[in-house]
Amino acid sequence: MSASTPPPFRRILVANRGEIAVRIIRACRELGVEAVAVYSDADVSAAHVRLADAAVSIGPAPAAESYLRIDAVVDAALRTGSEAIHPGYGFLSEREAFAQAVEDAGLIFIGPRPALLASLGDKLAARRFATGAGVPVVPGLLEPARIDTPDQVEAILVEADRIGFPLLVKAAAGGGGRGMRRVESRDVLQESLIAAAREAASAFGDGSVYLEREVLPARHIEVQLLGDDRGSVVALGERDCSIQRRHQKLIEEAPAPGLTTAERRRIHEMAVKVATAAGLRNAATAEFLFDSDRSFWFLEVNTRLQVEHGVTEMVSGVDIVAEQLWIAAGYPLSQRVRTASVHAARPSSAAIEVRLSAEDPARQFAPTPGRVGRWVMPDGPGVRVDTAIEPGDRIPAEYDPLIAKLMVHAADRPAAIRRLRRALDELEVSGIQTTAPFDRYVVRHPSFLAGDVFTGWVAAHWDGPAERAKAVRAAQLAAGIVEIESAAPGSFAGGGTPTSSLAWRAAGRASAVDRWPR
Amino acid sequence: MSATGEATDLILHDARSVRVVVAAASHLEGDTPLTIDPAPRPILGAGEDRRPLVDGARVDATLRRLDGVRARLTVGTGDDPTEHLVLLGELRPASTGPALREVVVDGWRVELELEPERRAALRERARRGHEAGGHGGPIEVHAIIAGRVVAVSVRPGDLVEAGQQMLVVEAMKMQNELRSPRDGTIDRVGVSVGQTIEVGDLLMVIS
Repeated sequence: MSASTPPPFRRILVANRGEIAVRIIRACRELGVEAVAVYSDADVSAAHVRLADAAVSIGPAPAAESYLRIDAVVDAALRTGSEAIHPGYGFLSEREAFAQAVEDAGLIFIGPRPALLASLGDKLAARRFATGAGVPVVPGLLEPARIDTPDQVEAILVEADRIGFPLLVKAAAGGGGRGMRRVESRDVLQESLIAAAREAASAFGDGSVYLEREVLPARHIEVQLLGDDRGSVVALGERDCSIQRRHQKLIEEAPAPGLTTAERRRIHEMAVKVATAAGLRNAATAEFLFDSDRSFWFLEVNTRLQVEHGVTEMVSGVDIVAEQLWIAAGYPLSQRVRTASVHAARPSSAAIEVRLSAEDPARQFAPTPGRVGRWVMPDGPGVRVDTAIEPGDRIPAEYDPLIAKLMVHAADRPAAIRRLRRALDELEVSGIQTTAPFDRYVVRHPSFLAGDVFTGWVAAHWDGPAERAKAVRAAQLAAGIVEIESAAPGSFAGGGTPTSSLAWRAAGRASAVDRWPR
Repeated sequence: MSATGEATDLILHDARSVRVVVAAASHLEGDTPLTIDPAPRPILGAGEDRRPLVDGARVDATLRRLDGVRARLTVGTGDDPTEHLVLLGELRPASTGPALREVVVDGWRVELELEPERRAALRERARRGHEAGGHGGPIEVHAIIAGRVVAVSVRPGDLVEAGQQMLVVEAMKMQNELRSPRDGTIDRVGVSVGQTIEVGDLLMVIS
């Protein structure tokens, strides 16, 4: 856009929280657009509220009573005179009903058209679009699996034998691995279908399930797409997100390592074909599996900004959030976007993102909400950190455990990995356990350095308790050395809080009295 | 006991010797206490060896403090020592029992209890004497994660078996079951459904 172009909007509402709300507000400020935040009772002093030009309270901490309330969000936009709503990712971002309510209120939804959220958001419909566009889908069903009558059960068993075991039962309306089940053999298929349908109905309000082959080993490779109102759709490049656990991505990079230019072209073209067939506007991501025969299989389309959009921004030079705003305001794809798409199959740099989450990688990545103590994020050349956390902040238990995204950009993949190691060495967090140790492990692992990634990588290479045990031993050693080096005989001082030996003895007696079971 | 090297049974714990235990809030199976002694005074004629003793054996470990919080711990010698990035939290002396210190090593966070070895040993003897005298006393179950209590399946007076589910805590959209650490009777239930809990909150007392 030229210097004289007015901002795409005067004011928009950001219907999200955390790092992604901050990311969108930053884009708004850079474009000269005013940003309105919404917040729950848990987020009164959150960064996105502070950074926005205005903020509206929309309810109590549970997401169902605040960030997921369509009426409250739309009402907040109307009351603040916002012209458009950016949904971010998660929460309401892929809900057709939300996009429709936004348009019905006379506002602009910064994302695909409501009808497209419904069509591509249904994974079965997306598989049919892809098949119709001549793009290979992971072998499986294109229609919901019905098991209401014995005939239907018999038909499904025949289909399952054709697909082959083990296979996956997936919810048509699911996402992020939810509502998905692995079925080992024919004799448990029926009960798995019943259980999956029940789970899908309660989680998504839609009990449709289907069968899909489990492609193993496979890499997860996805394509960033942008489309405008005039029907132009382009690919900005691909990302490899194979390092994941239970379908939750942990590390993402652009470009996908080890692909030939022809393979990059092929996957970009496949993604553009599906999106064009579906009539995509704004930003979306087409996900594929890449198998050991070097074939791509279409999985699904995410009709929103992705968590990992930043690595594509770094490699393509395109500010995807800013482009979303221009597109939503009715502008055609910018020259910058078109140029980037032309070069997308020949990337000239590499970017890697690690997701820093409040999760314990020694306890099956169990959430670790709580209060952050020290919070030092890396900095310096080629480093970007998207976060909404400051020292002393509380990580609420109500929301997603993602607390920061650490991204690095360098001339090539080895340089990016070295930079990421350096950046992770600068990262300091106390107060809560984070996934930092996992990230530190991955960036030193020979198979990651070799680009030998696949969706089963974490299960194959990560032993959290063993890694933790080494560090805990070192922590005990460090703490012990501090004491013996700082203590005069008989005393027990350290950390600037000297305690006299008398006090210690008194404390010892008190504890001997107090702590023994009576 | 072995008579070679630095035999464990010959160590007379110095008054400065310290026992480092992983606190309940961060404890995982396999964590064991560590006792660290300062290097003993050199015996006449022997060269001075300043390396500390860990559980009675010399360890090549040096801690280089960079400021009040940051430090580097180097373990091992020769060509391939391991360097750890260390963050030392403040030492929090407790009015009763061991002092607490949060330590982060290479991104792993752990709460440690620190206590003079002599006192820890006394405490242990007292406990053994007590337990030998009969009943194991009541145990307190504290929260190891923060979240919201969504189900409580026991009441005071209930008999529970080890491994029996007692409550369910929801944190970040995930449900976490809390199970009884042993057989016993519920003495007290410290929480109710809907309540938000913090790490360390008293949840149950089982006797």
